[in-house]
Amino acid sequence: MAINAGNINEVELKSSLRKETIKSIKKDWQLYSLLILPIIYYIIFKYGPLYGNIIAFRKYVPGGPVYGTEWVGFRYFEMFITDPTFWNVFKNNIILSVGSLIFGFPLPIIFALLLNELSNGLFKRVVQTTSYLPHFLSAVIVAEIIMEMLSPTSGVINMLIKTLGGEPIHFLASPEWFRPIYWISGIWQETGWGAIIYLAALSNISPELYEAAAIDGAGRWQQTVHITIPGIMPTIIILLILNIGGLMGVGFEKILLLYNPLTYSTADVISTYLYRMGLESNNFSYATAIGLFESIIGFTLVTVANYVSRKLTDTSLW
Amino acid sequence: MSKGLKNVFIAILVVFMSLSLFAGCGSDDQTGTGDNEQPVQTGQSDESAQPSEADDDNVSFHSDQPLKFSLLYSSNPDYPYKEDWLIWKAIKDKTNVSFDVMVVPMSDYAQKRSLLISTGDAPYIIPKTYHPDEVQFIPSGAILPVSDYVDKMPNFSRQVKEWGLEDEINTYKQKDGKYYLLPGLHEILTPDYGVAMRTDILEKNNIPLPNTWDEMYEALKKLKQLYPDTYPLSDRYQAKSLLNIAAPTFGKAAAGWGAGDGVYYDRDNDKFIFYPTTDDYKNFLAYFNKLIKEGLMDPESFTQNDDQAIQKFVTGKSFVISANSQHLTGLRKTMDETVGKDAYEVKKLIPPAGPAGPVITGSRLENGIMISSKAKDDPNFEQMLKFIDWLWYSDEGQILCKWGVEGTTYKRTADGKFELMPDITFQWMNPSGTKDLRKDFGFGNGVFILMYGGPKYLAESYMSPEDLEFVNEVNSKRELLPAAPPILYDEGEREQANMLSTPLMDYVESMTLKFILGDASLESDWDKYVQDCKQKGSDRLVELANKVYQSTKDVLK
Amino acid sequence: MINSSRGYKVFQVVNVLIMLVVIFVTLYPFIYLAAISFSSESYVYAGEVAFLPKGFTTMTYEVLMKEKDFWTGYKNTIVYTIVGTAICLFMTTILAYPLSKKRLKGRGIILAFIVFTMYFNGGLIPNYLLVKHLGMRNTIWAITIPGAISTYNMIIMRTFFEGLPNELEEAAMIDGMGTYRILVSIILPLSKPIMATMALFYAVGAWNNWFGPFLYFDKQEMFPVTLYLRNMIAGAQQTAVSSGSNTEDLTQIAATVKAATTILTVLPILCVYPFIQKYFVAGVMIGSLKE
Repeated sequence: MAINAGNINEVELKSSLRKETIKSIKKDWQLYSLLILPIIYYIIFKYGPLYGNIIAFRKYVPGGPVYGTEWVGFRYFEMFITDPTFWNVFKNNIILSVGSLIFGFPLPIIFALLLNELSNGLFKRVVQTTSYLPHFLSAVIVAEIIMEMLSPTSGVINMLIKTLGGEPIHFLASPEWFRPIYWISGIWQETGWGAIIYLAALSNISPELYEAAAIDGAGRWQQTVHITIPGIMPTIIILLILNIGGLMGVGFEKILLLYNPLTYSTADVISTYLYRMGLESNNFSYATAIGLFESIIGFTLVTVANYVSRKLTDTSLW
Repeated sequence: MSKGLKNVFIAILVVFMSLSLFAGCGSDDQTGTGDNEQPVQTGQSDESAQPSEADDDNVSFHSDQPLKFSLLYSSNPDYPYKEDWLIWKAIKDKTNVSFDVMVVPMSDYAQKRSLLISTGDAPYIIPKTYHPDEVQFIPSGAILPVSDYVDKMPNFSRQVKEWGLEDEINTYKQKDGKYYLLPGLHEILTPDYGVAMRTDILEKNNIPLPNTWDEMYEALKKLKQLYPDTYPLSDRYQAKSLLNIAAPTFGKAAAGWGAGDGVYYDRDNDKFIFYPTTDDYKNFLAYFNKLIKEGLMDPESFTQNDDQAIQKFVTGKSFVISANSQHLTGLRKTMDETVGKDAYEVKKLIPPAGPAGPVITGSRLENGIMISSKAKDDPNFEQMLKFIDWLWYSDEGQILCKWGVEGTTYKRTADGKFELMPDITFQWMNPSGTKDLRKDFGFGNGVFILMYGGPKYLAESYMSPEDLEFVNEVNSKRELLPAAPPILYDEGEREQANMLSTPLMDYVESMTLKFILGDASLESDWDKYVQDCKQKGSDRLVELANKVYQSTKDVLK
Repeated sequence: MINSSRGYKVFQVVNVLIMLVVIFVTLYPFIYLAAISFSSESYVYAGEVAFLPKGFTTMTYEVLMKEKDFWTGYKNTIVYTIVGTAICLFMTTILAYPLSKKRLKGRGIILAFIVFTMYFNGGLIPNYLLVKHLGMRNTIWAITIPGAISTYNMIIMRTFFEGLPNELEEAAMIDGMGTYRILVSIILPLSKPIMATMALFYAVGAWNNWFGPFLYFDKQEMFPVTLYLRNMIAGAQQTAVSSGSNTEDLTQIAATVKAATTILTVLPILCVYPFIQKYFVAGVMIGSLKE
């Protein structure tokens, strides 16, 4: 066996790398020891059940074996890929969630910054607390409130339209209104809640920075731009990456309660379509195949977003 | 100090680790008796049962050995499950049987049921199952073909025969000729949904009570003239009940709107057709479109929630609304305060007749019981069948479930009528009673009874005089359309039909509302609609249905 | 202060106005629910209740107070929330802290391994079977352990830890402090805002969790109050939608009862936030740096 110089170098390099790793593990063994329990947790509770996805490729019958009864290959994937309705609801799904991201993501940041500018501590607390109340209402109650507000005859919104001389709008029967209703109600429900995390991040910024800036003559606006926003930037970026990865998710229950056959064209999403199909036969395999498809999209998106962020900024998930 | 803190932290760590480990072990023995084990079995064989003949043909049941059967219990939020209800003791006293109850909130009952059956954790007795929910569990063999065992259920068999329910039971059959759900049985048809009207307003303006849809139109029209600011009809249930009632009267083939796959049985030609593209269906749409166009029906009827519809009705902004008897009572209670007692009158009219005659659809079967397959291996399986037969299908069992214990919760009058004890209230009975038959005792419980199910006299014993009148009127003046024969799809065919019908019916439902609301025109858009249905597979669906129907006809006889 | 320029004053006025609008739109539904819960049922159905109760009555609450299951549920929820939050905070911290150290070898792989699970999961049945085989069914562990770490929260916490100044730790290490001690006596005191936030997130999650108990508990006495509420609100919704032709076992829960139950159920968890806000003050860092 002829061992050339290059190989020797590589071997040496490898062994020195290994040595370094061992050294660092030795040095940080306490740090590593903390990881043991969580990693066991992830293996058991998150990776353990993953075998369930096999039924996307195997036929599953409720009450039969969990891993299905026979191989069917990509049959269930073909089923939805060739179903034109699926692509319609897929499109609706994307539009609803991209809209939520575009409108819903910046608002908690702006809201937190505005809260930060309130000088009266008590007032600030009151706003903070009330703003997160809607987060606690169940979808059923939110839907009831929306339906009442939007009623063409008795709803507040239409009364306003009427007093302004307009014609009442039958919002819930109009496909073009469904998306705005979904987005606005989402903003109403989640902005206050979403701001909490930024408020926590804001409190992490050292007041010394502000004092120094004030001495330099920076106004509030400049302080916000040069200190506050950079201070919470890592949090913003991380949350943005995570939200991009969660793009396939929509508020199933809210949609189910608010839509009707008249608004299917814009309101129907993957989960509601599956739900209606499932009423007839509980086709777990089909649902799992679609779920797997969504997972792949989500994971791909988060990986790409993470990559871009790592290149452009200093912050990334991994 | 430094070491101390470190130790504390390590100690916490250790505690948590062991906690999570012990979580596994510690609870194991608990679950041993709790869930995946079979219920305690003390009795053993058939001989221990002493079936004794009661009056009429009812077969009684009592086990010599105490028995325990597991039961999936759907807990209604109106009367949440209680361990100390009298009903448990009453059943035990009568039969020596108790339940191992698995409580599931009613709101998500179907999901838990599916999970438990799928994971083999389901109890033996699974009530409150609506056909065809049982079908999904058949291929895996997780539930029993109950039809194989009805010979061990004398009360059930007798009721089916005496009440002539064979044809309807047939509709529950599968391709193997068996059925897998023990349905709840009615001796008489007890329709409940009708159209409630402000009869005082009608009377005041000399408008006759409508008996047909045309008369309904006239009545609504007059109301609109008199009260131009209102929509005389503003419906609840998103108008589903109203359309359900109306659809069959416009063409006998229709057996329910909004449910199913659009494929309906044409009795005259003994084949299935796609109903939503027929002229009958078009006429039905035209009628409701006319109501909307002339402002007689609130276009919100299809989208508003029930509370909004109720609000309009009780405040005099509408005069007609769909209702069942319980909801009618609710309306009255509210109007007593908002309009004033005696200042109004509301009556629930029987379903109006239409061009296809005074017909209604309905079934005398209702939600019923599935039995887990693993129950078959239990030594007390036959006992359990007899017990189920007694509790759900014998007069004695049903009197107990509906009325409770004689002398404690009810008494019988000289002429045999049932009467609650004076301090016990239930539905319309004894409104001043302090205790509730369901909430406080567990009787009148939807898991064990059908409100108006069972033998006629028991069904009627629960009805208020008004309900009784309604039911009698419907039964005497309306004609029940016979049930359509089932299409015995096998698994693959059912999947195929389902894949076709979901998008197709989505389209039909949305176009139905558009035609009614006038967003689509019945003159100019109808042909395109028919074409679109074809393009979305209505022909293929009907073809499949007929093929399966013709080839499996012999299974049903 | 130099920054009290004219423009900033105008901004502050506008800001206060915006906040008043926010208070109104977010508070109103609760005022409305409260008004309903103290009103007589008939006025609610007649749509006459808006801001103030009409036909004032405390009957609804009195009836609810007598409901034993409701209080059992309440007690359960409190226990589940406290235990669950403690486990979650502990587990999340011991994972987030090491992962915040960029020097940690294999950090990227571990993170990718963890983030993967945010998108791929086994589905309902395998998860149920796992809990069943671990013998956790009908125990508190079924709802506290499987969700012990929310990856989302862990990443947020890690991001926060990354933002802490490194100098403190380095100094401590030179002093010979071990990692555990640094975490407990230096990092955690500095992390009050994020710990408070995470405690809130986990507590709210545990409080609102009806689905876990629904799946894993078969005994009514173990149900949390949210499951009680869920059954009431969604059960009523269900019967309203599925109107068959027969008389069914309908659920008729009065709007007043629904409103009162909703209020009583969410009220305690709402009260957690104001308590947590006191940790959101700037300057937690400053004292420690000077020490």
